[in-house]
This record gives sequence, structure tokens and C-alpha cells, in this order.
Amino acid sequence: MFDSVLFLLSAILIVVGSLGVLFIKENIMHACVALLTALFGVAGAYAVLGADFLAATQLVVYVGGVVILMLFAVMLTGGGAANENKFGIEKIPAMGNVKTYIIAGVNVLVISLVVIKIMANVMQDYKAVALPAYESTVEKLGTLLVTDHVLAFEVSSILLLGALVGAAVIARPIGSTK
Amino acid sequence: MSSHNLDVYMPILILIGIGIALVFGAILFGKLIRPHNPSRLKEQAYECGEDPVGVAWSNFNVRFYVVSLIFIIFDVESALMFPVASVFKKFNEIGRGGIILCTFIVFVMILVSGVIYCWRKGDLDWVKSFHLNLDESSEKNTQEAS
Amino acid sequence: MNEGLISFLSQFDGHKAFVKMISDFAGTDATSTISFFIYLAACLAVVGVMATIGGLGTYAERKISADLQARQGPNRVGPFGLLQMLADGVKMILKEDIIPSAADKPMFIMAPMLCIVGVFGSLAVVPFSSGFILSDLNVGVFYLLGISSLVGVGIFIGGYSSNSKWSMLGGMRGASQIISYEIPVTLSIIAIVVLSGGMSFGTLIGGQGGFPHEWYILHNPFTFIAFFVYFIGALAETNRAPFDLPEAESELVSGYHTEYTGMRFAFFALAEYIEVFVVCGVAAALFFGGWKVPFDLGTGEAFSALPPIIAKNIGQILQLGSFFTKTLLLYYVVIWIRWTLPRLRVDQLMTLCWKYLTPIALFNLIMIAVWAYAFDGKSMFELFTAMGSGSTGGH
Repeated sequence: MFDSVLFLLSAILIVVGSLGVLFIKENIMHACVALLTALFGVAGAYAVLGADFLAATQLVVYVGGVVILMLFAVMLTGGGAANENKFGIEKIPAMGNVKTYIIAGVNVLVISLVVIKIMANVMQDYKAVALPAYESTVEKLGTLLVTDHVLAFEVSSILLLGALVGAAVIARPIGSTK
Repeated sequence: MSSHNLDVYMPILILIGIGIALVFGAILFGKLIRPHNPSRLKEQAYECGEDPVGVAWSNFNVRFYVVSLIFIIFDVESALMFPVASVFKKFNEIGRGGIILCTFIVFVMILVSGVIYCWRKGDLDWVKSFHLNLDESSEKNTQEAS
Repeated sequence: MNEGLISFLSQFDGHKAFVKMISDFAGTDATSTISFFIYLAACLAVVGVMATIGGLGTYAERKISADLQARQGPNRVGPFGLLQMLADGVKMILKEDIIPSAADKPMFIMAPMLCIVGVFGSLAVVPFSSGFILSDLNVGVFYLLGISSLVGVGIFIGGYSSNSKWSMLGGMRGASQIISYEIPVTLSIIAIVVLSGGMSFGTLIGGQGGFPHEWYILHNPFTFIAFFVYFIGALAETNRAPFDLPEAESELVSGYHTEYTGMRFAFFALAEYIEVFVVCGVAAALFFGGWKVPFDLGTGEAFSALPPIIAKNIGQILQLGSFFTKTLLLYYVVIWIRWTLPRLRVDQLMTLCWKYLTPIALFNLIMIAVWAYAFDGKSMFELFTAMGSGSTGGH
């Protein structure tokens, strides 16, 4: 009973939030808040699937980090008040015309083909079995990260190092000699 | 406990519901009893008595953006470190603590090297834009002054 | 794992019998429904208590500041001015609700709600006692970090939507300060997770004991430092002085809530005071043994002469007392700090976070991991006693 309630709430949040991101065109700040809603809903969806750690990660990384990053990024351009920046250039130049809809449609087609291809194998063997007993996903994840996937764990650190250095380099003023 | 019990998330949902209901409830209840005399002056943004000039939504400094970029990287890092940290004790008890310690230290050290790089290049300075492109001596002066 | 209030209640026969009775009556399994109502009652109780603590927080703040400055403080409304918070509440609700005409109205309305939702959501995992924790999630402390970051979004949106320069600056500062100081806080928490071997508050507190030498703060020198890193970071995350730059009244008028009046402002203030309680509670749970009572009185086994249900509940009350004492003492320290230290400058704030706290927290994390490996997770005290009794310490 509660499973369905949680799922429905998450699903509504995801759908409404995503549609909001798509169709709120006049104010990019409102679109950001719609994205926040969708990301919150995704955390709920993870919780429904029993992936509690992933749900918490979704909250920490996306709701707490990515959304604030986007809000700051919008503030770099002076907020969502005007669609033109101070140089008279349109901020979202190519959104919402025929070209973007065609590109989005092609993307959706490709992604759904890939997803169907992946799902087909799973669905063939699919039987409605009871979900396994609830146990801690954290310890499973931790054990896998330091045994089977230790290389991926360390390489991800290098990836993050690259991102850190990249963020620092990009943000430096052009022509800085330091 | 039944299999796959999601009841533990109930209080979270209830608390969030109470929060939303409380905010709307209090404001709607207040609407019945509070005065409502809007005037143009009252609805202006406060700017120490002057008429506000323009809107507040101006282009902000890039440093806020950099801070949040670095934050996200640390955030993802912590999301990866949490599961490893929570199995540390268990591995230690079965005598395999050395492996996990090495993994952990390598992971943190790679991150630390990034922090050291940013530190040495001055990306962690908040007021860095004031003393860029200056020679050594004047830079020192600026730092002392700030 | 994933225990909480319901699993505590379900050890009593009365609860089981009640569930069975309702299930028989309704013809379906009513466990979930009954859980819902129990949770609803418990959540309302927690919110009520927290709102009272938030209100008393404003009173305590004014009274303690008055004390520190040799003044009287509020003393007219009720005994010792204790009912001041009710007077404030009535005043707040009677205030005119002004939304600036240039503001971004939907966002303006949503900002206090985000703050309240973030804070209330984090109340779900605060461990009041071994039985009375609304839900002891496996990812407890990590979830708490995630949901309380909504407060940062709320503050930013509050600052943005007002369309006032002061609010905008305050909101930007607030959000960047909150996310910056989240890093040393998170790293300190990871260090404690290394020692306790779990993220749920049950595990985190279960690794400690009732006496100070069994607490994690005195576990080893590095956890001692980690506490101060956590506490400073937590002060900054809740925008308390000396880190109250987002609402620095001498430069930014009132920061992100300059344009907010009446109840909307009250919700920002309430969220701040409850968040202070939550971070103090987490500090008490992580470093000061949480609800643990000395001599294991909290389990209720010492009162075995009494019927078990009464003995258990006496134990729970002792645990509640232990938790609230520690948390409120820390709350007092937070207020004390506010009225003692001057405000930092914004560049000092960022220097403190990135050049002091974060490196110290990283160093702490590694050293605690090394300690946990080298001494098998034994605390300093255990090592001393082992040395005293002649057996080998460490390996």
C-alpha cells in the first residue's frame, strides 16, 4: 500500500518536474526549480526500488550539489529575468523551435532503442518474483568497491581529480599568468 | 520484518507533508486576521529609503560558480567514500584491514593532490582577482592590505 | 537494521495484539496502516516539540545575550518572560504579508517552504533515544546531509526571488557558504563512520558508551580534532555567528530575508533554530554518545524488579534525558559563541574553510583510518588499560 503511494508520488514528481523543465521557457530559474522537483522524485524512485544508498546519494549530489551549481551558473548570466543579457544576446537562442524538436526526437528514438535492446534480454527471463529481503545495500556496495571494482574506485578518483583541475583552470581569468 | 519493507520512509514523507501543510496553513490562517493595505511604497524593494535602481538580478562573480564546482567534486568523492568507510570495520575484523586502508589512502591522496594543485595555483583564494597579473612585491602588499 | 519507532513498539505484546485485532477486524493486514498512524502521531509530536524548542531558542538567545551583556532581556510576558515566544508568534501572524511588486512571486512563496521541508525532513533520523527515532535508516547520516542541503537551495531562492540587492547578495553568500562548509563536515562524519562501521545512527551510537571515555570525541586525538572541525562547519552551515554573513545586519540589512515579513520570515527563523538543534543533536550522537546513559541504565535491565514494559520505558526516558541534555548544552554553546565572537569577513570565511578546515579534515580522516587499522579500532583508554594490565596493546 505505502509502496504504491511512494511510487506514485515519486512518479508524479518526476513527470511534473520534467515537463516543467521542458515547457517553462520564459524563466530559466523556474525551470531549475522544476528540475529540483524531478531530481527529488528520482530519489523517491530509488527508495521504492530498495536502493537506499543511491537515493541518499541522489539527494546529496543532485539536490544539494547540481541544482545549486545550476542556480549559480544562471546567476553568472544575471538570473532569469530577461531573455537577453547585457550585450543584447539571447540567452537561450535555439530552444523551442523546429530544429531542436527534431534533434530531441532523434535523441529520444536512439535512447529508447538502446533501452529496449538492453531490456529485451532482461524481460525474456522475467518472472514476477518477490523482491529479496530488505538488507543493507551500503555494505554490499562498499565490499564490491574495495574488492571486485577496486580499479574503478581508484580511477574514479582520478576522474574527479581531472574535474577538479579542469574546474579550476576554466574559471581562471583569461591571460592570467599564475 | 517483511521483505522489502518501505515503511521506514513513511516518517520522512509525513514530515515533509507536515512542513508543507504548516507553511501554507499558517499563511492562509493569517490571511483571515492580518491587515492588507498594499501601497506602492510598501511593495518596493528595500534600498535604504532610495528608489531601487534596476533589478537585483545582475551578473554575479564567477567565484561562486567555482566554489560550487569544487563542492560537487568533493560531494561525489564523499558519496564514494561513505560505503567504503562503513565496511572498514568489518574488513578490519576479518584481518583484511590493510588492503582497504591502502585503497582508502590512495583514493584520498589523489584528491589531496588536486587540492594542493588548486592551492598552489591560488584558486582557493577568494580575492584572487584583485592581485592577478601583478608582480611579486605588489602582490604581497595586496595580501597584507586585505 | 532500518529499525525505528515501530520495531521498538513491536517488541511489546500490546502492540502485537492491537495489530492483530485491527487486522482481524478489517480483514486485511493492517500493520502498515497502523504504522502510518503511529508515525503520524510521532511526527506531529516531534514537530510540536521542535517548534517549541525553536521558539524557546529565540527566547534563550535573547535571554543569554542579555545575560552576557549585563541586561535583563525579555521579562514582561509570563514568568521570566517565558511566554515571549507566544507573543512573538501572535505578532508574526498579525503582520501584514508584503510581497514586493518586483519579486518573483512563486519562488518568493516557495523559499521558506524549501527551508522548512529540508529541516523537517532531517528530523526523521534524529536519534532521540534507542526506541524513539522516527526511522533509523541504514544511510541515516548521509540522508541527513542530503535533505538538509535543501535549506541552502531555499536560502538561495529566498535571496534571488526578492529582487532586492541585499537579499541577492545574502542569498549568494549563504548558498556558497553552506556548500563550502558541507565538505569539512562530511569528511569529519566519514571519519566517525570509519570507526563505527555503519551510517545508521543506531550503529554510530552503539559503538560508544555511557561514560565520557567511551565517547568518540575521546576515542583518539584525531576524533577530538574532528569534533571541532564538525562543530565549526556546522555553525557555518546553519548561518550562525560568527558565520552569519548571509544576514549580516551591519552590511546587508538582513540578508536573504530582508523582504520577508510576518509568517514567511518566521518560517525562515524557525528553520534556522530547528536546524541548530538538529546539528547539535548530530554532534551529540556522533561524538558524545547520543542517548547512551552510564551503567547501561538506558536498557532498563537495572529495573528488573519492575514489569518489563515499565522498566523499558524508564530506560527510554533516561535516554531521552541524556540526549536532550547533551544537545541543549551544545545549543547553549552555539548561542554563547554567537554573542562572544565577532563576525568574519567573507574572504576570511572562505580561507578558513578551504585552507584550514578541509585539509585538517582530510588529514584527520586518513589518520583515523590508520588508527582504526593499527590499533584494531581500540580507543586510547582501552589501550592504556591494556598496557596497565600487562597485555599487549595494538599489534
